[in-house]
Amino acid sequence: MSADFADALLATDGGCPPGLTTWNGSAPEKRFAVYRNNVVVGLIDALADSFPVTQALVGEEFFRAMAREFVRAEPPRSPVLALYGDGFGDFIDRFAPVAALPYLADLARLEYLRILAFHAADASPLTQEALGGVLADEAALPLARFALHPSLFVLASAHAVVSLWAAHQAESDARQLAGLDTTRAESALVCRRELAVEAFRIAPGAACFIAALTRDASLGAAVEQALARDADFDLAATLALLLRAGAIVGITTPRRTQA
Amino acid sequence: MNQTVSAASLALAFGAAMSIAAAPVSAASHGGAMKAETEKCYGVAMKGKNDCKAGAGTSCAGTSKMDHQGNAWSMVPKGTCEKTMSKTSSTGKGQLMEFKEKKA
Amino acid sequence: MDAIPLHRPARAATKAAARPRSLPARAGIGLKPEHFREILDGTPEIGFFEVHAENYMVDGGPFHHYLSRIRQRYPLSIHGVGLSIGGEGPLDEAHLDRLARLLDRYQPESFSEHLAWSSHGGNFYNDLLPVAYNAATLARVCNHVDRVQERIKRRMLLENPATYVEFAASTLDETEFISEVVSRSGCGLLLDVNNVHVACTNHGRDAREYLTALPLDAVGQIHLAGFAEDVDAAGAPLRIDSHGAPVAEVVWELYCHALDMVGPTPTLIERDSDIPALPVLLAEARHAERILERLLPVAAESAVS
Repeated sequence: MSADFADALLATDGGCPPGLTTWNGSAPEKRFAVYRNNVVVGLIDALADSFPVTQALVGEEFFRAMAREFVRAEPPRSPVLALYGDGFGDFIDRFAPVAALPYLADLARLEYLRILAFHAADASPLTQEALGGVLADEAALPLARFALHPSLFVLASAHAVVSLWAAHQAESDARQLAGLDTTRAESALVCRRELAVEAFRIAPGAACFIAALTRDASLGAAVEQALARDADFDLAATLALLLRAGAIVGITTPRRTQA
Repeated sequence: MNQTVSAASLALAFGAAMSIAAAPVSAASHGGAMKAETEKCYGVAMKGKNDCKAGAGTSCAGTSKMDHQGNAWSMVPKGTCEKTMSKTSSTGKGQLMEFKEKKA
Repeated sequence: MDAIPLHRPARAATKAAARPRSLPARAGIGLKPEHFREILDGTPEIGFFEVHAENYMVDGGPFHHYLSRIRQRYPLSIHGVGLSIGGEGPLDEAHLDRLARLLDRYQPESFSEHLAWSSHGGNFYNDLLPVAYNAATLARVCNHVDRVQERIKRRMLLENPATYVEFAASTLDETEFISEVVSRSGCGLLLDVNNVHVACTNHGRDAREYLTALPLDAVGQIHLAGFAEDVDAAGAPLRIDSHGAPVAEVVWELYCHALDMVGPTPTLIERDSDIPALPVLLAEARHAERILERLLPVAAESAVS
């Protein structure tokens, strides 16, 4: 019985499942529509809250129509709606009506990473003293492994997604859109510092380096991978960015653990 | 293990990073890294998405509370994307406006 | 349909099973992220706060930051909206684990859920969907309530639903069904007075008769909220449980009537959409509190029918 009811919630024919009754004999379709409307609109609203820039880019009317297609194709699998929308970027990639906006899927992925970062576990950045302790043991540095903040994510995009996103964050930045070359590849670093989620545009080498650290590569190995990807990779600037973002929460060397 | 990166160079970079990170933030200090407008984005997700309300009903067509059954396959995006270049389409925005997909 | 024993246990027995009313018999409001900072900064006078469990089933970040601080200062009710207790399949044990962790962490004075389903076939439908009332669904709901209470090691409250349709497969009244669940599982009742009004209007029942038929001895908390007005296909009034408006006069009246029967009971003002400024919600809670304290004569409350 629930199967019929559930199917009808996501159906587009305006019908209702069998077996419904009303005290006054009125046709149940209109009453059932309260449920359908609530389910579909509630989920579209959840996506609109999570993907505000994606919505701004295509406009509210189009976004809601696109979100409805996603809701019907991939309804949530978990009752925790804060994290709904994991597959929205991939869905947009396959959604032909936005084929002329090739950056849109990665923009949505960036917004989803911000949601993940917002709700990720808490962790305290390493103190200056702990960092100094690691630095004191120079010989151990190449084999040092970094524990990064649970809210840290890297997105490498073939499009200017960080600039696009940033241009929607303040009214004064709207003019940036006009001259924006969306085909410029950009990588994003997303991380929550205390309560606020930050997004940074980072160079390809930095993205490669940080991604390697998240895969538990040693510092030496991560630097080599980054240099192989990008000869201009700037280790000091990238580490400084991680420190500023509060993203380094632990460092393990063969001889010691700082956390 | 390939030892092209020396421990000394790592230590140098590490020390420099600590100095940079400890210095006051300036626009150029991240070497192109861009800090987000944190106050604004902070507000975006500060909303509980699970609730136990019902929608406002079925007869409030025209509000966003109502599911309009609009067909995304026959619509064109009309948002800030119209201000961006679209190098992938031969006629830029024009092609976007003309886009149509045949699907139920 | 199978014959089902519809015996009511002696009311005294239910009463003896201890009603841990650890929430104060005062008014509370739903805690909204929009109001986090204002509440921490101003520490407004309010009986308790209630949150939706699922909004806090995340690992860390601002939601836990604020809730843990606010919880230190106020009694807390945690209200689940996603357990799908009326669901056909078994309960989602992973979700139950998340719930148990949340309850462990915040030790709320009350935990409640709904007589409804929201998950089926692994999908979550984000609504409180209606259950047919018969022997099979009664057994299922009781099993699920038993499992929840066993897992979280505490008594839960079950909320009476606001519904828009009924089922041909139902063989029991909603009040009979709820009474049976309460007596068999030992759970308490979260009496949503707005839902009583909404459901009775939508299904042509008398709200006061409905109230009287509920297991009122088991009431551990009351919810009040606003509804939206619509009509069904025959033009009859259809009330929607929108939580998007102030509590209606007719619901205040019903609340007074309910309090006459159940006595002072923790009362929540629910607001989930068109959320007003904090002082507006606090004022509505104060109104409920004046009724709780019997400072306002019930007669003065009636004006609209």
